[in-house]
Amino acid sequence: MNLKAILAILLCKLLRALARMLHRGGTAMPGRWALKLCPDLLARLSKNVRSVVITGTNGKTTSARMVEQAFREQGFSYLANRSGANLLSGITTEFVMNCTLSGRMRREYAVIECDEAAAVRVLPQLKPKVVVVTNLFRDQLDRFGEVTHTLGNIRAALETVPEATVCLNADCSLCSSLALALPNRAVYFGLDKGAVPSRAKARLSDATHCIRCKTEYEYDYVSYGHLGGFHCPKCGYARHAADYAVTDVIEQRSAGTTAAVSIRGERRVIEINLPALYNVYNAVGALAAAMEMGVGADEAVRALAVFKGGFGRMEAFQLGKADVRMMLVKNPAGCNQVIDYLENLRNQFVLAICLNDRGADGTDVSWIWDAEFERLNTIAGRIEKVIVSGDRAQDMRVRLKYAGIPDENITVERDYEKLVSSLEPLATDVCFMPTYTAMLELREVMIRHCGGADFWEG
Amino acid sequence: MELKICHLYPDVLNLYGDGGNIMCIQKRLIWRGLGAEVVRLPLGSKTSLAGFDIVFIGGGQDFEQQVLLEDLHRGRADEIRAAANDGVVFLTICGGYQMMGHYYETFDGKRCDFIGLLDLCTLGAKQRMIGNYKFRCTESAGGSVVVGFENHSGRTMLAPGLEPLGTVLAGFGNNGEDKTEGAHWKNVFGTYSHGPMLPKNPQFCDVLLATALERKYGRAALEPLDDAAESAAHDEMCFKI
Repeated sequence: MNLKAILAILLCKLLRALARMLHRGGTAMPGRWALKLCPDLLARLSKNVRSVVITGTNGKTTSARMVEQAFREQGFSYLANRSGANLLSGITTEFVMNCTLSGRMRREYAVIECDEAAAVRVLPQLKPKVVVVTNLFRDQLDRFGEVTHTLGNIRAALETVPEATVCLNADCSLCSSLALALPNRAVYFGLDKGAVPSRAKARLSDATHCIRCKTEYEYDYVSYGHLGGFHCPKCGYARHAADYAVTDVIEQRSAGTTAAVSIRGERRVIEINLPALYNVYNAVGALAAAMEMGVGADEAVRALAVFKGGFGRMEAFQLGKADVRMMLVKNPAGCNQVIDYLENLRNQFVLAICLNDRGADGTDVSWIWDAEFERLNTIAGRIEKVIVSGDRAQDMRVRLKYAGIPDENITVERDYEKLVSSLEPLATDVCFMPTYTAMLELREVMIRHCGGADFWEG
Repeated sequence: MELKICHLYPDVLNLYGDGGNIMCIQKRLIWRGLGAEVVRLPLGSKTSLAGFDIVFIGGGQDFEQQVLLEDLHRGRADEIRAAANDGVVFLTICGGYQMMGHYYETFDGKRCDFIGLLDLCTLGAKQRMIGNYKFRCTESAGGSVVVGFENHSGRTMLAPGLEPLGTVLAGFGNNGEDKTEGAHWKNVFGTYSHGPMLPKNPQFCDVLLATALERKYGRAALEPLDDAAESAAHDEMCFKI
């Protein structure tokens, strides 16, 4: 380490200590300043660390938690950017917090969640051993632009690390197209035909036409959104067989899923500690990532049954007598998956949707019109009450009115304290659907009522 | 009374919740006891545009633009011109709006020829124009204040004879320079407003419905609806920006 790097480390550690004294997270800011002093600090620190990077539109945090647990099961010494700070600055902070003042790392492994747009700056410094691309969906168009643009960003990032193994979602025609243009070793994960009943093609798909020749794809089966057994009738681009394949989703419960997987041909049954189909994808992707990093199959499988989800990702709370789930939503594909989950619930519940439009949420809230809230009608009998909240509560109210929920049944409540207090005596289950910044605020209030960790502790 | 509504290219022009406009057109007819039939015409569809009262074209990704242009030039463009000249109501948004003009020229000088129905052209700019915005419609388009969300890198220039849809009150509009937003010719309305546009701007939606009903039946008695939710959402954004 040269003097600049050591000064940067010192500065980063000081700023973090200061932030914590002020009861702030200090997750990204210290790293930002350290990088100003030493722009290649992350490259210097990560040189002898074996990293797995998880990027993609949905499921980054949950997948990272699953991989972390697998590392714990295996006894790996690792660090992870658990706070949600997934840009170069936050990742650098995390590395500095795990090194000595002279820049010697105290961990051998790293589990890094990385923003899709930031990957191009992070990967060349981090030189990960494995990169997972979970999926690609339209997301925060005001920030990321079109989905093909995000795909281009990830491709450019991967071009800087030809040695890395990439774990690609076989069912996502956008993701798996990355292997077409890259020299990297690729392994695939996905849901095989028959794992779940095939759905009708989504009303809105983010990848209708072949990424290579622009002919419309044909599908053997659809698992959700544009994910499934696609092939192009013209150029032959088609779903690649999955090395890590879910062959049967045996049982979906309100708190978890049982599924059969084939790991390079070997059959195993996995228990996933979180519900919903999108977490089955996260699980099999995490399985692939962990095993490609050297975790044993037994340890990787065990991890899925015991890992703890990230904050706000299907996070469970006990509010008085009520079971509460907080389910982060940020784009149509993820939101539709949460609606799937609601459809499968058996109990009566209160639904509270909290829509914000700040930077981290995406300032454009039009995506709520691409999500299938109409499906709430089929379970209207089980929804005891609908509450809308957040900066754009009124927009959500209009959306629900159009979905067929009578306006007089919708309550607007922007004060989270009042909202939570009003739910506490009801003893009815509650499903919160907040966007990112709404989730952070709502979670603070929930923790005051129910207990739990601060966001930077995860 | 019934209106027949065409959603053109819903398979590829489907960004930013623009499909909400179709829901709005349909529901505001149904809520008044009027008929509304929506037909989706995807890429490659052979169904003719004849017989529709309202045609909606949304915005899309650049990725599919080439397949779209091929489809347009296989006869769809002629149908659009004929229908527009016949007084059919068109609502075209962002990419769909640009497509009604003569051409789009990218920043590095590549030109893409469009339908040429509206006397306007669009030039690619370096800086994207993104954000919540509002504009006041011209009297001929109802005069209401529309709130929406714009997200475009093209700067659209209207020829001197072409009337804009409105005047920008906050945000960029057509090009960020001349305060014009959108275009209005005959019954063709073009705008950059996503949001989606119509649900939060019911007054403007009713202008489209009244225009289409008037053309078809010679009269358009639109009963007032309870727009409490819509007005709350509209007014709140209007106040914020």
